[in-house]
Amino acid sequence: MAATTKTNTQLVVNGLLNENPIFRLALSMCPAVGISTTVANGLLLGVAVLFVQVFSSCTISLIKDHIHPRIRIPTYTLTIATWVTVIDLVLAAFLPVAYKAMGIFVRLIVAFAIITMRLEVFACRNTVVASFWDGIGMGFGFMFGMVALGTVREILGMGTFLGYDVLGFRPLLFFVLPAAGFFLVGFMMAVFNYVETVYNRRAKRGS
Amino acid sequence: MREIIKITIALTISCLLAGTLIGITFIFTAKAKQQNEHLNVQQTMFALLGYGKSRPAPPELRLHQVHRYIVKDGDKMRMGYMVPVRKEDGEGYAFVVLDLNGRFLEHHSLDITPDEALSDEDRKKALMRVLKDPAEFEFSDTMIIACMGDERTAYLVPGEFPGFKTFIKAMVALDTDFKLLGLEVIEHEEDPGLGGEITQDYFKNQFVGKPFDTLKSLTVVKEPLPADYERYLRSMGTEDSGLSARQVAEIQKHYQDKDIYALTGATISSAAVTDGVKAMTRKFAYRIQILDQAVDAGNVPVLF
Repeated sequence: MAATTKTNTQLVVNGLLNENPIFRLALSMCPAVGISTTVANGLLLGVAVLFVQVFSSCTISLIKDHIHPRIRIPTYTLTIATWVTVIDLVLAAFLPVAYKAMGIFVRLIVAFAIITMRLEVFACRNTVVASFWDGIGMGFGFMFGMVALGTVREILGMGTFLGYDVLGFRPLLFFVLPAAGFFLVGFMMAVFNYVETVYNRRAKRGS
Repeated sequence: MREIIKITIALTISCLLAGTLIGITFIFTAKAKQQNEHLNVQQTMFALLGYGKSRPAPPELRLHQVHRYIVKDGDKMRMGYMVPVRKEDGEGYAFVVLDLNGRFLEHHSLDITPDEALSDEDRKKALMRVLKDPAEFEFSDTMIIACMGDERTAYLVPGEFPGFKTFIKAMVALDTDFKLLGLEVIEHEEDPGLGGEITQDYFKNQFVGKPFDTLKSLTVVKEPLPADYERYLRSMGTEDSGLSARQVAEIQKHYQDKDIYALTGATISSAAVTDGVKAMTRKFAYRIQILDQAVDAGNVPVLF
């Protein structure tokens, strides 16, 4: 893939829809299935991923000319781990309330496939500015996916939304369990694909 | 060969840069982080004793920390407790040494200020000065005795036990008859939404009010949590529970000696917490009894 020709807005939209990390790229399924049990969990993890993605993308695109091609992946991992540690430390020191809720998730991010993949595919071939916007797009795309999954799972599984009781009863506990995560991710992928097919058909007819 | 050297150098430099960045961040954040943790623990302790924003702790309330050490004297093992004591010129600390049967052996006066006593390192230095060479001792745990004036009101016992994945750090509050006053999960890595629910009020509060005899044989049952009990557990400690005083009393009486209702989908985590609380309470009840006897036998002027 050569350097991107997309504008910054296109890059952000690309991350949110066309190449949504969870529903289109099917990356980082582990957190998508395991952690998206509630809206708050999804949102917090999304915010953390957004920061790590943006920082790592910028770092890698800055130093891309100095990375030895044979040790690309170790360098990416090192970069991600460094930023995760820094964010972990800063959160613990200055935002103790947020850290209490997010602490466990932040350390998990080191192993997220989406971040390494974006560094490999995008950041090491593009400018810092483009990588920054790509990171923003991917981060928000991931957050959007997690919140969408979290909303359905929380409402159907526990009858609550963001911790507030909306249904008054628990319809199906199954949705909180990891198996339902897979089920739901598959279902939402189908919805994404269907919408895309319809959209393309309309676009064809229009032209 | 040249490539290997190149790669080695590149990786070394990257690691050094990353290390420097993390190091600098650590230097800037370490103090604030420590302070947060200290504050957090303090808040947890007050919350367990029933004090909070709406009900501030009275100034007479004092939390005395007692640190337990294992001391090696030759090939014999000893237990050592660092306790706050009354001295001629105010308050200080002493180190009480017992044998493994709980018999009082000796006590040393320690030269340490209250601020220093909070730090692991400073405590170690002070102990080094009084213990005979070669002093071999190891920090074991800390317990906290809450006193209102001269009267003992409660105990706070921090502890750690294995959960579903890794260790769970928790703290329990006990009254002077070892009835459980409160449980707080301080750190855990259970699955969010499943075992992670151990931090929720409707699980934690099930332990509250259990007398020592019930705690000793507590287990979990795999039954759904009854609706009225859940409502009571969730509203515990809040003003508006929607239940009348009579209903509350009835629920308390009915469930006081019942086992713990396991979390749905997280029986192992639930059982781990139950066993952990059980073990912590039993060990503590045993230790404090021995310490009290030893302190009496040695006429140590303790503050609690």
